[in-house]
Amino acid sequence: MAFIVLVNAALLAVLLAIPFLFDSYIVYQIGLYLIYGIAAQGIGYLWGRIGILPLGQAMFFGLSAYATARILLHFDSLSLQLILLAGVMLVAGLTAFLFASVVFKGRSDSGPFFSLITLALVIISEQVAGTATAITGGFNGLSGYNTLAGIDQFGGLYLMIVGAVIFSTVVLMSFDRVPFGLVGRAMADNEQRLQLLGFPTHIIKGAAFAVSAVFAALAGILFANHQGIVTPTSTGFLLSANLVIWTAVGGRYHVLGPLLGAVLIGYLSSELRDSFQYWEVLLAILFIVVVLKAPGGLGELVDKSVSRLLVTKKATAKRVFHDAPPGRIGNWQSAVQFNDVHVKIGPVKILNGVQFTTFPKGILCIIGPNGAGKTSLFNAITGGLRVSRGEINVDGKSISNRSPHQALRSGIGRKLQVPSVFHSLRVWENLCLSMLAGRGRIPDYFKPSSFHWQSRALQQFLSVPHIPLADRSDELVSSLAQGHRQFLEFAMTIAAEPRILLLDEPCAGLSTDETQLMTRVIKQYQTANDGLIVLIEHDMSIVKSIADQVLVLHQGKVLANGTYDEIKSNDSVRDVYAGGTK
Amino acid sequence: MSSVLILNILWQISILAMVTIGLGIVFGQLKIMNMAHGELVMIGAYAPVITASLGLPAVLQVPVCIITVGIVALILERTIIRHLYGRPFDSLLATWGVSILLREIVELLFGRGYQSVSSPLPGTMSVLGTDYPAYRIVVIIGVFAFFAILIAWYRRSAIGTEIKAMVENCELAHACGINTSRLSSLCFVFGALTAGIAGMVLAPTIRIEPMMGLDYLIRSFFSLVVGGLGSVEGLMLGVGIIGGLQSALGAAFDQTYGYLGILLLSIFFLWLRPNGIYSSR
Repeated sequence: MAFIVLVNAALLAVLLAIPFLFDSYIVYQIGLYLIYGIAAQGIGYLWGRIGILPLGQAMFFGLSAYATARILLHFDSLSLQLILLAGVMLVAGLTAFLFASVVFKGRSDSGPFFSLITLALVIISEQVAGTATAITGGFNGLSGYNTLAGIDQFGGLYLMIVGAVIFSTVVLMSFDRVPFGLVGRAMADNEQRLQLLGFPTHIIKGAAFAVSAVFAALAGILFANHQGIVTPTSTGFLLSANLVIWTAVGGRYHVLGPLLGAVLIGYLSSELRDSFQYWEVLLAILFIVVVLKAPGGLGELVDKSVSRLLVTKKATAKRVFHDAPPGRIGNWQSAVQFNDVHVKIGPVKILNGVQFTTFPKGILCIIGPNGAGKTSLFNAITGGLRVSRGEINVDGKSISNRSPHQALRSGIGRKLQVPSVFHSLRVWENLCLSMLAGRGRIPDYFKPSSFHWQSRALQQFLSVPHIPLADRSDELVSSLAQGHRQFLEFAMTIAAEPRILLLDEPCAGLSTDETQLMTRVIKQYQTANDGLIVLIEHDMSIVKSIADQVLVLHQGKVLANGTYDEIKSNDSVRDVYAGGTK
Repeated sequence: MSSVLILNILWQISILAMVTIGLGIVFGQLKIMNMAHGELVMIGAYAPVITASLGLPAVLQVPVCIITVGIVALILERTIIRHLYGRPFDSLLATWGVSILLREIVELLFGRGYQSVSSPLPGTMSVLGTDYPAYRIVVIIGVFAFFAILIAWYRRSAIGTEIKAMVENCELAHACGINTSRLSSLCFVFGALTAGIAGMVLAPTIRIEPMMGLDYLIRSFFSLVVGGLGSVEGLMLGVGIIGGLQSALGAAFDQTYGYLGILLLSIFFLWLRPNGIYSSR
């Protein structure tokens, strides 16, 4: 908290000093680029934190500016104006939210398509603004309105802009210090894991896009007041492109970076564009260099030199935990029923009518040769693969063909074959995300106190001797050994206390000691939770030590099931493992 | 539907197909989202202008186009694209910068204003009972012939197989003795050249200006979204739907509606059929 106050006080001091240092025209220009900077901060947040690059942010900027001009033209009462302007920001946010959550639904990447659609949107909004003369005034634009509360464009408005800049900076910096920001960084890192932890990532992306749209709208509102005229260029492609360049050069990973980029590059551009004809070319080259060689931009440069000047001691405070609120996993009966389940990928048949019902409690091991469809069966359960025929039921309800993020809601947690964790985050941040999974309500994501949650299952797991995580909570996951990542992912999966736990080769890559430890914590979880654990395993000694029942899959079908000894003496199972083709 | 409208739609589709094939090859095979693809179309369209300003006869605009676009593409591949194979998001950013750079350079050389070039084949032909510009008819036929040859060649030639191997597993293909880095740059330059030729062919029928590329980038990307990556059938279907819809809406209402139409359709596809109609898997 102290850091946010400090940075913003410094920012405020600098911005307030500007009117005393420069003449009013320069202050006016700086005000304009600060306005653009607010919109760029929104882009920086979305691009640097969430990993989505919006190429059409000027659409929200320009359309809000038009709306502001219209509001100021038609309404005189200040309170009404303020309410309507707040409405403009709200509408921008809601539209952005709906749009992004629709486009991202059913996907687990932020591929280039979203950027291109936003690009198309801004081009079309510029066209519409130029042609819908009755509403927008066409190419002449809208003008002749008074500013909000009659504020002086060359005086008081600058203070209003400074207020808005401080507001956006405080909001974005606070995001970094609450779980909402952590979820965003996790999304840029590993969206699939986040979905398996029950986070509806398309909704989160929608929310993040809405945040950036609201900032663009706020900037647009100020812009309309500042310029006194709104033309189609304010919602155009060129402004969008410039906003992205300023953000990149200023530094997308830093809250103040885009602001710096907008003021510095924007101001330089306006000065040099006419006198130095190679300026735009130079700027384009600068952008390419930043993208390829210095993705942190100026922000990182400044940040590094500041932290070099102010060497601060890193205090590793003892983490305090309190009990997490109860999960929202319903009291589902945990037997899984496979009813003639078929899965096809293209022409290849993966599952050919799996017919089986598990017991509600205990440890079920799935074995089978490579390509038998073991992992695909898990994918069908958690929604990564489409079930083309038949269905999977839990507690009498069909769970096939849902989104991956819905699995946890019906009590299903899953550990993947290759440990899937958030590599760029610290161990405690990984665990924290898994604690929020299925427990956090929207307000919890904006409270720093939610960082300190710990569930009974996680506490129990971490207190087991020799678990290689307890003393590494501040380490980056990318520096953990493969085996330790297995334990981390296991911990993250059980933290939410799922009733049905799917484990895909949890002992792969573990030493003998670690394997014993792993089987012990698996058993321990089953005893404490009294639910179902389904385990894919190749190592028969592990199967023998852990399984209450064994299921053999072969060529996408159930070949046999029974106790370990029954399976061991089953002739058809022997044939398959001995190389027979039955 | 009048026959002029049909011919107009055919014209739009064949130009769009010519632009999209390059984007599709580079995106589908190299996983490079080339945001500068439209600028390559734009440079191709400037080829006749360059030819004229060099004082060369108009016949030479084909080699001028191939050389100019080829050199630009080769430089881009060597300096930037090479490091970004298989990284669609990073390539999007870098080529976005490239697109700005190319536009600014062209603007510096030729100015911001419109240029126009005259058609090498003035006059009209009588097709389907109407008179239609002969030049466009020739181009439509030429594009379809080009696609027929390309498909036949890709299916039979060794390079086609090598490309498929590279797309499937680049490291293994490399280990099998395929020079993947040369093959990749070949793919990129080929994709760029098709864009350049599309631009050159387009030049006599439009106003040439530095910003013209954006529109082609977006439409060809939407064609890939709708049609799906990885097959010529998908590409043709996507191009047909996007080109057809835009021309039809454009003729019935105006261009803005045509644009809105394809945008909504593409969002609809991304939402409900994210892999397009003809998905490769």
